[in-house]
Parts: sequence; structure tokens; C-alpha cells
Amino acid sequence: MNEDEAYEYVKNTLKKELITPYHADELEIVKSVSCCINCGLCINHCPVVAAIGLDRFNGPRSIAVELSRSPPEYWSTADKIYLCTGCGTCREVCPKNVDIPEIVNLIRARIFEHRPDLVPKGFMLVKEIIAEHNLAFEPWVDREEKAESRDMRLERLGLPHIPDVVKKNAEVLFYPGCQAEERTQEVREAAKVILDLFAVDFTVLDEFSCCSLPSHLMGDEDSARNLAKQLKKKVKKLGVKKVVTTCAGCTSNLADLAERDNWGTPTYHLLEFLAEEIGFDRIKQALKEQTPSQSVHVSVHDPCHLIRHTSRRIMDYAMDILSLMPGVKVTESITHDSCCGGGGMVSYHSRDVADAVVKENLISLEETGAERLVTPCPLCTAQIESNLFKSGSSIEVDDLTVFLAQRFSKE
Amino acid sequence: MTDSEFDVVVIGGGSTGTAVARDCAIRGLKTLLLERDDIASATVGTCAGMISSGLKYSDEPDIMAMCSKEVMHFNHIARHIIMKNPILAPLLDLSDAASDSSYVDSYSAHAEEREVPSMLFLTPEASREIEPMLNPDIIASVYYEEFFIDPFRLCMLQTLDAIKHGATVRTYCEVIGFDISNNNDIQGVVFYNRVTGTTEKINTKLVINATGPWAHKVAKLSGENLDIRLNKGAHVILDRRVVNVGITVKAIDGRWIYLFPHENTTLLGTTALDTWEDPDSLVASFDEIEYLLQSIQTVLPSIREARIIRTMAGIRPLVPEWKRPEGKVTRGYRIIDHSENGGVKGLISFTGGKLVMCRHMAEAATDLVCKKLGNTAACMTHKQALPGNDADVDVSALSKEYGIALHALERMRARRGTEMLKVLELTKEYPEWKTTICTCEPVIEAEIRYAIREEFPQTLNDLRRRLRLGTGPCQGTFCTFKAAAILSDELDLGGDDFLVDILDFRAERWKGIRQSMRGEQLAQEELTLGMYTCVANLDQSDVDYDIKPWEEGS
Ligand SMILES: Cc1cc2nc3c(=O)[nH]c(=O)nc-3n(C[C@H](O)[C@H](O)[C@H](O)COP(=O)(O)OP(=O)(O)OC[C@H]3O[C@@H](n4cnc5c(N)ncnc54)[C@H](O)[C@@H]3O)c2cc1C
Ligand code: SF4
Ligand code: SF4
Repeated sequence: MNEDEAYEYVKNTLKKELITPYHADELEIVKSVSCCINCGLCINHCPVVAAIGLDRFNGPRSIAVELSRSPPEYWSTADKIYLCTGCGTCREVCPKNVDIPEIVNLIRARIFEHRPDLVPKGFMLVKEIIAEHNLAFEPWVDREEKAESRDMRLERLGLPHIPDVVKKNAEVLFYPGCQAEERTQEVREAAKVILDLFAVDFTVLDEFSCCSLPSHLMGDEDSARNLAKQLKKKVKKLGVKKVVTTCAGCTSNLADLAERDNWGTPTYHLLEFLAEEIGFDRIKQALKEQTPSQSVHVSVHDPCHLIRHTSRRIMDYAMDILSLMPGVKVTESITHDSCCGGGGMVSYHSRDVADAVVKENLISLEETGAERLVTPCPLCTAQIESNLFKSGSSIEVDDLTVFLAQRFSKE
Repeated sequence: MTDSEFDVVVIGGGSTGTAVARDCAIRGLKTLLLERDDIASATVGTCAGMISSGLKYSDEPDIMAMCSKEVMHFNHIARHIIMKNPILAPLLDLSDAASDSSYVDSYSAHAEEREVPSMLFLTPEASREIEPMLNPDIIASVYYEEFFIDPFRLCMLQTLDAIKHGATVRTYCEVIGFDISNNNDIQGVVFYNRVTGTTEKINTKLVINATGPWAHKVAKLSGENLDIRLNKGAHVILDRRVVNVGITVKAIDGRWIYLFPHENTTLLGTTALDTWEDPDSLVASFDEIEYLLQSIQTVLPSIREARIIRTMAGIRPLVPEWKRPEGKVTRGYRIIDHSENGGVKGLISFTGGKLVMCRHMAEAATDLVCKKLGNTAACMTHKQALPGNDADVDVSALSKEYGIALHALERMRARRGTEMLKVLELTKEYPEWKTTICTCEPVIEAEIRYAIREEFPQTLNDLRRRLRLGTGPCQGTFCTFKAAAILSDELDLGGDDFLVDILDFRAERWKGIRQSMRGEQLAQEELTLGMYTCVANLDQSDVDYDIKPWEEGS
């Protein structure tokens, strides 16, 4: 056997033994989990454990000291590992900073490769959509219908339509994420309204493609790495200096990818961009020029992907911006930073679990007396909105970007 | 024959003794196994569990051939407790490759029998894809495969099989003398029962001394001298599988050392030092730990960042070949019939040997026993499977049926094979026994109860050997009390016994932890200390407990 044949042979044996070698960029994650001292502190903070109990989901501590220790056995975690929403609460409270959300993804990747039969069926549908369209949601078939739907939404919200521009060497690439690209188009449009208002030199992608987070969360590492590569190429080709997004998941994922794959282009959530690049003075100025809209009482939900996967400062910015808005009263709910259950692709196979997680949030939300909930993530918006609706609540939900755009826009 | 009359008494419940007892029992001999501590409590429990192709012993082709055959037999009789490890031997310079080319050929000679490939050569790039922690300066690596067995379960299964075939097994019974007739013939064995504190005596026709590194001491009890070369070996145990495959490398003194994924840990070993230490209080030394780390660091520069949980050390009972380095001493074994040189009649001792050849050693010794006793039964130990090996187990289906986590059941399967059904059966009547007791491994209450009822443990340490209880990264920080409560319930232990057993278990964990304590394990020990002193107040306990030699006296 020559060296190439030998390598093929070895890869084959590893596959038979269910071993996928850790990549160099995964070693930090493995090291981090090995620091767990089994103190159990995380268990009481995990929203999934709180919602469905330890018998059904044995929680972050078990992931660290038990489930993640031996790759050849990763397949046998399939009844538990898909129930983690990846909210990162455990990592935040852990005295050793154990990176549970990422080891969960690493284990899911091994199951995806070696035991596809154990991967939740719902994931396979998403995988197919991604493979066909490079998008996490089935796109509109008819472009015109898509535009009609967009215009209807804009009209309802009283927002102007800012046409898409695709150009090279703009300052900013605005990246809406799959949900806002295909479903909640008002979020995408609202962001453009805001960028336009502050005269930001921005472009959108010629051909939109997914940031890879859903593939990464499902364990489809090949697709994830492929999509990440594709997007990096597009960003580089456009020659933009910054990426701005309105999705919490995209924010944290693009920031991670930029670091892992040396993009050299920082990613901002729109809120961060407003606070850090536009500045509060300009925001105040812009608000002065508006006719004050009706007063409204809101509460805010903090997306996990912002506060725990990126930085808690982003939601401080959100509160600061809201405090500048005339007529906006904010009451914090006690579960404002608790996971909505929408993460980790849990709802794709165990809707009951995702909905059990959001229950606590709904109760304390009602207690605030707010008439509206705002949150800077289209995925959290969808998860909370549908559960409020099911519970018969009168509280309405807005994506924070839309809410801001409505109050910024000249009418 | 009464209960105190035996054909053969086997002394020692390690890999060798349990294999002999099994063979004797299967061949229909009335067999008694006496072990002064617990099954697998000594050398065998400190070994790497590699059932090796014998590739280090290329000078001894017969032994290599025998090892290869034994691996096949194990894969036939105990496949449920065996795992395969792919292994890389990275080469840092050409002299590494040139100096040892003979082992490549000798390994490959028997590869096919074991259903593994001949040794393969890989490029540095391919090697680093397989193991990204490897030093970028390597010039190539050699790839091969070896099988590993769970040494504790192997001994336990051999013991259970012996019992199934009629043998009597007595643990915590230490042989302290022999009853020898006037014509220098052994007629009986005297032993001290450590549980009851009484001395007992039984009669037997023959005695097999399978006491590993104590063999010369036991022989001496009959007045016989037995030459043996004792050689210390230590392992460093790392949390989880930190490497994708096994790594072997030439140590700083030119010996081979290794880093093997083993169950859900990684073993770094081993050292080899001629020793005169007491096997009972043996610990790994600072020099041994450094020697291992320095050596593996040449090919895995970041290995010191990995979390070291503990160390373990044991003594190899080598064949007494002197004036040559340990690595050149034969890996074979000797069976000494003391009567042959005019010594005591009826005593047969072992020196040498390995885990991988325990079945073979047993066959040879039992052949000799049968010849002396006129028994003509053939050896069946390579044909008859050990308990649990008979069929595949569908753990996914069992997980659904019993409502127990899949991973917990997969770990149980790796210990028990089909026998796990008996454990699960218990949960039908007692659903609360599905509770996880040891969170690292994990181990559920039902398996602990089953083991206590069926596998005769006396202490928490015995439970650890049967279940891997308390062997994970937290080293029993959280399971000790819970398991002790279950043990007390089943064995009806009083409050003081309960506390002493907890202290003993903590002391035994400490024996391995202390030597290598550094880095991440310090945080764990701080937590453990808090649990057992501040919460449990064990440091203030006034129970009658003897401080162990490796504990600091106060
Ligand atoms: C660090 C290390 C690594 C090793 N790695 C491997 C490996 O990977 N593969 C391999 O094949 N081999 C390996 N070996 C060798 C192998 O472990 C031993 O050769 C083998 O397990 C010895 O088993 P045993 O039953 O002879 O001895 P032991 O396991 O020591 O058993 C002897 C038993 O006799 C009992 N006993 C002693 N005195 C009395 C008495 N008076 N009355 C009653 N009972 C008594 C003891 O309590 C003990 O349980 C390794 C050894 C070491 C030290
Ligand atoms: S990431 Fe969130 S859901 Fe997952 S284990 Fe941690 S706390 Fe629980
Ligand atoms: S993951 Fe962190 S918080 Fe949870 S048990 Fe381990 S060390 Fe404690």
C-alpha cells in the first residue's frame, strides 16, 4: 500500500470505529469541557431542565462529565443531545466556563456523520432545502408574489421601501439572515430604512446564502463549512469593511466564523452598529426630527445569541436606544434574558419541549403589563409570537428592528 | 468430598488466578479460589488492558504468535468487553524509523489472523489530519491497530464463569500457611478471613500460586524459594479521550511508551523500574510522571494542557532474567512445579506472563494439574464464551422499553453484554432504581444493587472495579455517599462501617490523585475537599479508621 492508499484505509477504519478526528479548531472546545468539576451549578439554570425535568433531559452537567467523553459512543447520546437549545446559560454560570453549546454541536456533527438514522427526521428536510437553495427556508417560487407580500407588510407598518443596491467596496454589507430574507421581509426592509436614514454606504448580497448556523446546529458540518466558505468568498469579493445583520443567530455565528476562518471583516448586530458606529448623538438628533408616535408600553426579550454568544452589551445598547424614544415605556420582565426555546433547532423535532421552555417567559411577560414585546431577532420573535397567540394573549410582538424603524422613519 | 476438600486451590484473583480457576472448574475439578483482597484488586487493575499483538517482543516470535492467537480467542469469548484502538507511531527523524524496522515485519506477520492490516506508513499531513495535536515537525508515522479489553470485567467474568461451573470463590481470604505432610506433600491451605477475622483451613490435593508479584512470598509460606523479578510500572490517566487515536513514541531513554484512549479516558504509560517496594502501598513517583510527560511531549507538545485525573501503579511479576534491561526480559511465563527440584509436592507457581496470555497460562497450568490428578478433560476456555458474550444487544430498543437513557445503557452493555437484561429486569419492580448514582460513568442504582447481589463486593472499592463507579473526572466526589448508602442497605452495614468504607474509598482515590495533582484537577480537589470536610465533616469523624501509608498522618 502506498501512503495515499494507507490514508484511505485508516480513514475507513476510523469510520468503522465511529471516530471523526477532532479538527484543530475544535481542540479548544474539547479542552474546555474537560475542565468540568461536576459541581452541578449549571443544572439549576438550564431552561430545558427547568421545563421538562432531568429524566427527559439530563442537562449540561451530564453533557460535560458523561456524554462528551468518548467519541465512539457519541451516537448513544442521540436521545438527549438534540434537546439542548444551545442557549449558553450553563456556560455563563459555569465557574469553569465550560463550552456546552459547542460540544453539543460537535457531538451532533459526529452523529450526523456516523449514525444519520439517529438524526431527527425534521433536520433532514432542512438539510435538503439548504442543499437545494443555500437557504434554511423554502424560498418564494414567484419573485413577484414575494415583492407583493413585502409591500403589503411595509404598508401595514407604514414603512417606506428602500430599493436593494448591490455594489462593490461599500462600507457595509447588510446581511438579513434567512428568516428575514424569505419570511419576515419587514425586518429586512426596516433595517434598510434605518441604514438609509443614517446615510450608511451599504450593499446587499447579489445572491443571498445562509450563514451556516442551522447546518452547524444540526451537525451537518460538511454543509456548514461549505456555506461558510461560500459566504466568505462573497464578502471578500464585495470588498465591504463590515457586516451588519438583524438576526441574533447570524451575529454570533458570523463573528465566530470571521474569527475561525480569518475573514478580517467584523460583524455587527444593527443595534451594535447604531450605538458604536452611528453614535447616540446622531440617534438623538434623528429622533428629534420625527413627529412623536403614540406612546407604547413594551417589554424586551434578550436573544441568547446576542447576550450569551456575543455580548450582553448589545442589549444594554437596545435599552439605551429605547430610553431615548419619546413615548416608549419599557418594563423589564424577570425572565427577559431567559431562553425562548427557539434555539438549537429543538422545535424541528420536539416542539413540545421548545414550547415548554417559553412558558415561563410568557407568565412573567403578562406580569409586566406591557402591551408589546420587542426583541432584536426574527427567530425569537416567531417563537414568542406563536406561543402568545396560542395562549390567547393580547400582547403583540415586534422585531426590534421594525419597531425602531417605525419610530425613526419620517412620515 | 466435603466443603473443605478440594482438588485444587488457586491463590490469587488477578487475571491469572481467575483464568486458572475457570479452566479447572470447566474441566470438572473441585476448585477453590482464594483472594486476600478483591478480584482484580492488584496488578491487573493497573494495566492498560492492551491485548497486544506482542509487537514489542519481536525477538520472541513464539510469543508473538501466541499473543495473536490469544487475541483471536478473546474476540471470540469476550467481544462485548473489547475495543479496537487505531494507533499512530509518529517519527521525528529517520533514525527512529531505521532503528526499529524489525517490529514492522514481525507485527505484520500475524496481522491477518487478528483481522487487522499490516503496518502502514502515513505522510505527516495525513497524520496531522488524524491527530491535529501532533508536532508539525514529524516526518511520517506508522499506523497499526491493537485490541483492548476491560481488565476488571475480564477477571470478574472469568470468576463468574468459574462459579457457574462449580468453583468456590472466597475473597478477603489471605493465605497464611500450608499444611504440609511429613513427606513434604501439601495437604491443606490455611487462610485468614479478613471479614470475620477468623483463621480457616481446607484440604486440597494441589495448590496453584497465581499471586503475581506476591508469588515468592506465598511460595515461602511452604518453605520454597521462588526467584522473581519485580518491576514497577505506572500510568497517568487523563480525563476523556483527548487523542483521536493511540499514540506510541520512543521515550527519552529509548523505550516505547504510549498514550491510549481507554474506555472514556486516556492512559499515558508506562514506566519500568526494578522494584523492592511493597505492592500494597505503591504510588507513582514524580519522576515517573515527568518521564512520561516529557516523553510524549516530543510528539504531542500540548499534552500538558490536558487534564490529568490520577495515576496508577502496579508491579509486573517478571520471569527472573537478570543483568538485562526490563524490555529485554522475556514476555513469556514460567510454570514452576516445586516438586521437580525436590521441593514441596503439590505446589505450582507462576512467574512472568501478561494479561493477554492469562488464558494460555491457565490452560498450561490446568493441563499439568489434570495430568497429576488423572483428569483427561480437554481445555474449553477458548471455545466457551464468557457471560454476556452470546448475542448482540439492541440498546436503542432497550432504552425505549425501559425508559433509561441510551448512553447509560450503552455503558452498561460494554460491561455486561446480554447479562444487562438481568439488571434491567430489576427496574420493573423498582422503577426508582433507574436513578443515576455515578454521574460521570454513568451508573444507575439498579446495576449497583445487581452487582452487590450477584458479584459479591464487600466495599465501595469493590463496586468501583465492577462498575467503574467513581472513576470519572470528579473521582467519586458525588457518588461516594449515595453508593455507600446503597451498599449499607444491601449488606446491612452499621453507621461506623458505612463511614469507614467512605473513608477507605476516598483514601484509595487519593492514592492516585495526589501524585499527579496539578492544573485543572486542583479545582476538582478543592470542591471535593469542601464536600467531605465542610459538608460531611469527615475530617472530624471519630470512627475507628487507620490512616493509609500514603495519607499524611496527623
Ligand atoms: C503498568 C502495567 C501495565 C501493564 N500493561 C499490560 C498490558 O497492556 N497488556 C498485558 O497483557 N499486560 C500488561 N501488564 C502485565 C499484566 O498486568 C500482569 O502481568 C498481569 O495482570 C498479572 O496478573 P496476575 O493475576 O498474575 O497478578 P495480580 O493481578 O497481581 O493478581 C495477584 C493476586 O494475588 C493476590 N494475593 C497475593 N497474595 C495473596 C495471598 N497470600 N492470599 C491470597 N491472595 C493473594 C493479590 O491480592 C492479587 O489480587 C501490565 C503491567 C503493569 C504493571
Ligand atoms: S445551552 Fe442552554 S439548553 Fe443547552 S444545556 Fe446549556 S443551559 Fe441547557
Ligand atoms: S459544566 Fe460547569 S457548572 Fe456545570 S457541572 Fe461542570 S463545572 Fe459545574
